[in-house]
Amino acid sequence: MAGALRKIFATFARSYPKPVAQLLPRLYSNVPTPYEIVDAQEERKTYQDVIDKVNRQVAQAKQGRLFAVVHIQGKQVKVTEGDVFVVEGYWPPGAGDRISLDKVLLVGGRDFTLVGRPLVQRGLVQVEATVIEETLSHTKTHFKKKRRKQYMRINFMRVPQTMLRVNRIEIVGEVNHPSDVTGLETRVF
Amino acid sequence: MVFTSVANFVRSRGPDEFWRKRKIFKMAAHYIGRSRNCYSLAIRSVHRALVFATKGRALKKQDLANLWVTRITAGCEQHDVNYHVFRESLSRSNIMLNRKSLADLACWEPFTFKALTDIAQKRALEEGIAPPKGNKVLFVPKRGSQKKT
Repeated sequence: MAGALRKIFATFARSYPKPVAQLLPRLYSNVPTPYEIVDAQEERKTYQDVIDKVNRQVAQAKQGRLFAVVHIQGKQVKVTEGDVFVVEGYWPPGAGDRISLDKVLLVGGRDFTLVGRPLVQRGLVQVEATVIEETLSHTKTHFKKKRRKQYMRINFMRVPQTMLRVNRIEIVGEVNHPSDVTGLETRVF
Repeated sequence: MVFTSVANFVRSRGPDEFWRKRKIFKMAAHYIGRSRNCYSLAIRSVHRALVFATKGRALKKQDLANLWVTRITAGCEQHDVNYHVFRESLSRSNIMLNRKSLADLACWEPFTFKALTDIAQKRALEEGIAPPKGNKVLFVPKRGSQKKT
């Protein structure tokens, strides 16, 4: 929209002699916006080709080892199969729990990357992880001191840590082909 | 009272001066010079060290954040995108990757990162996102950019 407006203004300003152009509100620059002529059909064909290629590669299991950027406990982690990563802070799942990480922001294979906006289409990718350990971090000393003010405080803290192993990252659905009803897989009826 | 040797048993009956000092000496064991053997010097340096350790935990987070920005900037410059334009374009495209994961991608997944810069460039072109003033890199020498005449 803004681009189109600017284009109109730019052509308007140029079609008049200079003094008139100067009278116009100089809200937009006179530099025409760069544009390209897009053939909608051609464009569609191109991206359909790309999507088909990705789907074919997944169907033939030639996508290689996948990696994913998942959102967990307010943090983002880049993981691949077999990784162990740490979730810090209070987090309910206990040791032995098998969970699926649903907030997938990005998945990458050998020849393609699926970028989520902000999340990859639900049900397309399955990232499964197991909680392997729940521990506390080493003791951290919180020590404050002010010189010549008789002020000194010491506290000790240990942060809860949960280790997760990523068991599986798989593309189960079809790219750009969401199911009509989503979100049912996480509900209990 | 737990004691593991006769020496410790003897110590445990008197004032707690020995135990109080031993705590500090343990922490100063790896220091050099008198600050490892003289109590008055040891406690000074142990306190300093503990304060540094406390403050350092916050500093480490800041340092890492700066490192991520550096890495993303380096990755962006390879593909001729300004860092600020890159971040702004991604957020306008609803791609909510944070600095940490972007830096990871810039380091280890060059093709993925290139795809992201492509998206950003397209979006920047469409919406007219320009780099902030005074932050202009005029020329970045890269491999292949300096040609023989």
